[in-house]
Amino acid sequence: MADHRDEGRPPAPVAGYLRRHREQLLPVLFVLPALAYVGYFAFYPAIDAVVLSFQTPILSFTFYNYQANVNLGLYTWIANTFWLTLGALALQFGLALGIASIVNRNFRGKRIFATIAILPIGISTVVAGYAFSTIFPGSGGGYAASVLSVVGYHETIYWLQTPAKALLAVIIADSWKNTALVVIILVAGYASIPSTLYQAAAIDGAGPLRQFRYVTLPGIRGFIVIALLIRGAQEFNIFQLALEMIGQYPQLLTVQIYVLYTSGEGIYLASAVASVLLGIVSVFILVVLLLGTRQ
Amino acid sequence: MSAGPPLAVAAGEERPPAPRRGRKRWTLANVGFYAVVVALSAALLFPIYVIFLLAFVPDHYTIFSFVPPLIPPALTLTNLETGLALSTAPFLPSMYFSLEIAFLVGVIALAIGIPTAYGLSRLSRGIAYAVTTVMFIVNMLPSIVIAIPITVPFIKAGLYGSALGIALTQELLALPVTVFLLVGAFQGLPRDLENQARVDGAGRIRAIFGNLVPLIVPALAASFLLAWMFSWDESTFALILYSTNPTLPVTIFLTVTGRGNPLVGVAFSFVATVPVIILTVILQKYLKGEDFTVGVRG
Repeated sequence: MADHRDEGRPPAPVAGYLRRHREQLLPVLFVLPALAYVGYFAFYPAIDAVVLSFQTPILSFTFYNYQANVNLGLYTWIANTFWLTLGALALQFGLALGIASIVNRNFRGKRIFATIAILPIGISTVVAGYAFSTIFPGSGGGYAASVLSVVGYHETIYWLQTPAKALLAVIIADSWKNTALVVIILVAGYASIPSTLYQAAAIDGAGPLRQFRYVTLPGIRGFIVIALLIRGAQEFNIFQLALEMIGQYPQLLTVQIYVLYTSGEGIYLASAVASVLLGIVSVFILVVLLLGTRQ
Repeated sequence: MSAGPPLAVAAGEERPPAPRRGRKRWTLANVGFYAVVVALSAALLFPIYVIFLLAFVPDHYTIFSFVPPLIPPALTLTNLETGLALSTAPFLPSMYFSLEIAFLVGVIALAIGIPTAYGLSRLSRGIAYAVTTVMFIVNMLPSIVIAIPITVPFIKAGLYGSALGIALTQELLALPVTVFLLVGAFQGLPRDLENQARVDGAGRIRAIFGNLVPLIVPALAASFLLAWMFSWDESTFALILYSTNPTLPVTIFLTVTGRGNPLVGVAFSFVATVPVIILTVILQKYLKGEDFTVGVRG
């Protein structure tokens, strides 16, 4: 109604814009609660962590929190976190590509296999962590030894003896728990590839391996990027499983944040490590997005 | 629920069965394929089997055995009984606390998720893409980085250690997935449904809740249960933000890392996990890869 009355003179620019785009702008109101929520509960604390990392207990500016952590071994923590992430992503994507390829075929028992593949999602991380610390105990033996002795390997492996072994144990545990998510995403990717592409490739004489290389992989590229983003970020952030299985041997960024926070070293030192982790995750997200969307 | 696992559905829908080379049952390739499937299944089931052993086998055959037997020589319910004994074990109070939090997380996920998903399904591409990207980034922020700075405002607001406080932080994990799932559901509805309702005189809110929401009840149920499951499993926020009463995962964590008999924790948690495993199998249908990819594919 108001539109007719206003016809004679030009409406105020803002009011006019709002009126003309009413249908598009109203939905913004529906999104606002979510934005307010994540703003207050996610972005504000994240920025707060960065602010705290440059503060002293009397609120003056300092680089001390970073310097102290460098002296404590920050670079080693970064390296350990990096290797863990790399190993876990490699294992999860290798396994997931295999499982997704299997699920993508038709065979007897497919539904049972699909169900088994998804079960680990239902097991609580804390419980899985305990199960895996009895499979790979630092004191040697454990269920890994039980399995290895079945296949004839009887030497004792001390899983917390070297950083590499400890990280490997966490990588296996984490991959067991989380590969299913990658499988779910990749299966959606497989389904998005039109079957005519495979037929064309088969007519051109491409075998299963070349079909995988030239049809499947390019077809699921976008899905791989998403899965890589989700899992990669979660891998850098891995905390509970590592805390439970290996504690501080070797140290990861997340576990060190927790240790610094709870050991009386205070929120400031912990925030410096938290900011480093935040920076690494941000760079990771940017790099994957840039590489993944380039073409 | 009877449509079968989504992995099967998602894979089977679009593509006809791979061309078969005849109907030969036991070719070498077939045997090799099944060998891989069986080996993978065994590896995937092994940790669950270990949890079962830890829960129901006497401890001198499990954690106190250097190379524990894979076939249980004896079974016991002692671990479980100790876990359930009200007077001595903290598990039942923790379980109630976890149930309360998980319920809250599910409710808040829907309360914020429904309007957000509706808004996103009606917004122009550019804005919707920006908002989903924000939600996606939230999903990737380290919990521990958020949990520590948030303690101070939480203590001031009286949220520290409360079910609502922990639920509001765990929601960060549940909300993005809820939104992605519901956006898909709203987009699947014909646009005319809402237009019709509004032509008939319903306001936008009434059109949404009277005409659209009832049609996506399965997706709502799936999002609620997923949010519930995220919360049930979450332990980082729960560990940093609890004061006197820890959640079940935190109680299990504290038990297995030194306070009390770890097997009691495992036995109790295994039993508590069984419903979640069943839930996972049921929810399989809704765990679709597309929902996780909404954020970036735009």
